[in-house]
Amino acid sequence: LLWRESWDYGKNPMASKGTPLHGPRIKLIEKARDLFAETKEQIFESKAAEEHAKLLRMQHELEVSTKQAIFVDSSISDTIRTCIVLGNHRAAMKVKTEFKVSEKRWYWLKVFALATIRDWDALEKF
Amino acid sequence: MAQIPNLDNAPINLASLREQSQRELITILKNIRGKKCLVIDPNLSGSLSLIVQTAVLKEHGVELRHLSAEPLETECTKVVYLVRGQLDLMKHISLHIHDNASKGLQRECFLYFVPRRSVSCEQILKEEKVHDSLTIGEYPLYMVLMDEDVISFELECAYKECLVDSDTSSLWHIAKAIHKLESSFGLIPNVRAKGKASLRVADILERVQTEEPVNVSDVLPEISTLILLDREVDMVTPMCSQLTYEGLLDEVLHVNNGSVELDASIMGVQQEGRKVKVPLNSSDKLFKEIRDLNFEVVVQVLRQKATSMKQDYADITTTTQTVSELKDFVKKLNSLPEMTRHINLAQHLSTFTSKPSFLGRLDMEHTIVESESYDICFEYIEEMIHKQEPLISVLRLLVLLSVTNSGLPKKHYDYLRRELLHSYGFEHMATLNNLEKAGLFRKQEMRSNWLTVKRALHLVVEDTDTANPNDIAYVFSGYAPLSIRLIQQAIRSGWRPIEEILKLLPGPHSESKRGGLSRGSSFELLSGVSNNVDKAAVGRRSIVLVVFIGGVTFAEISALRFLSSQELAAYDIVVATTKVVNGQALLDPFVEKLT
Repeated sequence: LLWRESWDYGKNPMASKGTPLHGPRIKLIEKARDLFAETKEQIFESKAAEEHAKLLRMQHELEVSTKQAIFVDSSISDTIRTCIVLGNHRAAMKVKTEFKVSEKRWYWLKVFALATIRDWDALEKF
Repeated sequence: MAQIPNLDNAPINLASLREQSQRELITILKNIRGKKCLVIDPNLSGSLSLIVQTAVLKEHGVELRHLSAEPLETECTKVVYLVRGQLDLMKHISLHIHDNASKGLQRECFLYFVPRRSVSCEQILKEEKVHDSLTIGEYPLYMVLMDEDVISFELECAYKECLVDSDTSSLWHIAKAIHKLESSFGLIPNVRAKGKASLRVADILERVQTEEPVNVSDVLPEISTLILLDREVDMVTPMCSQLTYEGLLDEVLHVNNGSVELDASIMGVQQEGRKVKVPLNSSDKLFKEIRDLNFEVVVQVLRQKATSMKQDYADITTTTQTVSELKDFVKKLNSLPEMTRHINLAQHLSTFTSKPSFLGRLDMEHTIVESESYDICFEYIEEMIHKQEPLISVLRLLVLLSVTNSGLPKKHYDYLRRELLHSYGFEHMATLNNLEKAGLFRKQEMRSNWLTVKRALHLVVEDTDTANPNDIAYVFSGYAPLSIRLIQQAIRSGWRPIEEILKLLPGPHSESKRGGLSRGSSFELLSGVSNNVDKAAVGRRSIVLVVFIGGVTFAEISALRFLSSQELAAYDIVVATTKVVNGQALLDPFVEKLT
């Protein structure tokens, strides 16, 4: 029952996609995280919810600093790619370390992103 | 060529079933006098196109529309809605009626549920206060005939609904449909079922039989054996890429209600951006010949035919011919449009099959099915996720890996789940949850018995000759579909010899006889191993109805056709399914959509 309740919480913010009210949405996800954390079996779900909340916060900040509403609701990988495409390598790095993105995945993302903007020089160096 | 398949060669009189559906629909339309606007559920339009031609509808004064939330634009004062019992569709209809009222339009509205009325839907109509302004009826369409040996119940989400949402209403629908078949072709004496849903269908079928019995003594039953099989029992097969011509067409172009839609340029018509619809059923003789072949062979066959035609042409122009020879030649020319059509299609497909990524994927599928080198498979999938390849194609391999290993070790399971969420977004927590609930992608809890099953049923066949196949394994170039192996056993000898293996697969199994024992045993002879004396004496082949609950792939249908075409086989197979599917169509309902 507890699980079901937390699941509803987890689902809710997804349904309300596109609402500009990020504050309440993040709170909901955090509540879901806490509920998931109450049973031992749901550690994975709890952690995922925590990361989700963290990601939304970072994406929000990125949108404010770049003044482009293209980050929220994209995945971590997409966020990193967008950062590199925009030439904001520092932000990309930050997302990488924040979410402990493995080197393997990082390389793929960087290669794809650099290829998108046809930055062959950087690709060569890298 | 008509999209409605020719059913004259069907082993049982399926054409009469279609005529019945057609008649019922026309009766509904006739009873509403004058011009009317027929508004159909978009999901039904495919099924209807297999029942009746639009021209026939027009004859009955019908204007055709698709149901959507948009207000209805029509001159007609009579509106007929033809919909499945789905809640969101009721909302659309209510909107329409409110819209009529606000615009002061006088429209008489009729609502026909397919296949039957639903209490919850009518409740919505009552809440919306439109129930009284509708005349409500039923159009009992339980099945659509896809081809001379394929019946579809058109329940595309049945698999997910049963396993994830615990919604078993589809099972009732299936039992009802089988019962309907029985009332035309007699009570089926032998029933063999495997899987939870199958046993429930068999149960419901019994109950329906006691409620409205099919007369046993009336006619000799035309169908001797009914085999019910849950998709859940074999999720390995649909996750593999199909390699038959028809299967491959479905994987690449998505066959929908017996036809594919594709860019006109592929078919050699130079018209920018136009789509053409190509019907694919056994009315097309060439297609009938090549649909079940392995794609490699199809290319060869087409090449051969083209060369021989060229040769004939050369003969005509160089030597003098008698009139009858000319006649023969012209006859051959008649098959030219079919030839061109399939050469175009095959050419289009080979641009996909020659890609290294396609071959790499096939290789990986085989490695997983053979349960060798788990690590290589794991890393391959990991890399796919990192490259953010389309989610469904990643999931197909992942499910394949998970099912054959009865789950992944916890460490890998959590790692891949995390990578998936990171790459495709956290909303897929719901997707992962759906897959886990259905047992498709989960944590390993016990040792896998896939190896035992694979060996006992001889699922991997070395040295498959795709050109002259001697085993069903040709449909996947070396892998014999588990589902079909089970059916092969069930037809030949029943479940008893493979009980130990059946226990290793999901769900219970059952075997029963109906309609009195003395009768049953004499039919057993018919359905048993081929018996030439028997066959000659009776003068007809026995018929086996195979029902796949949760969907079947074209490759599996091909394998069944192959079985019944074998020299020793004394049976014809009719396939019935909730829907013809492929791995993608099967997994799609599991994926959480952000809307």
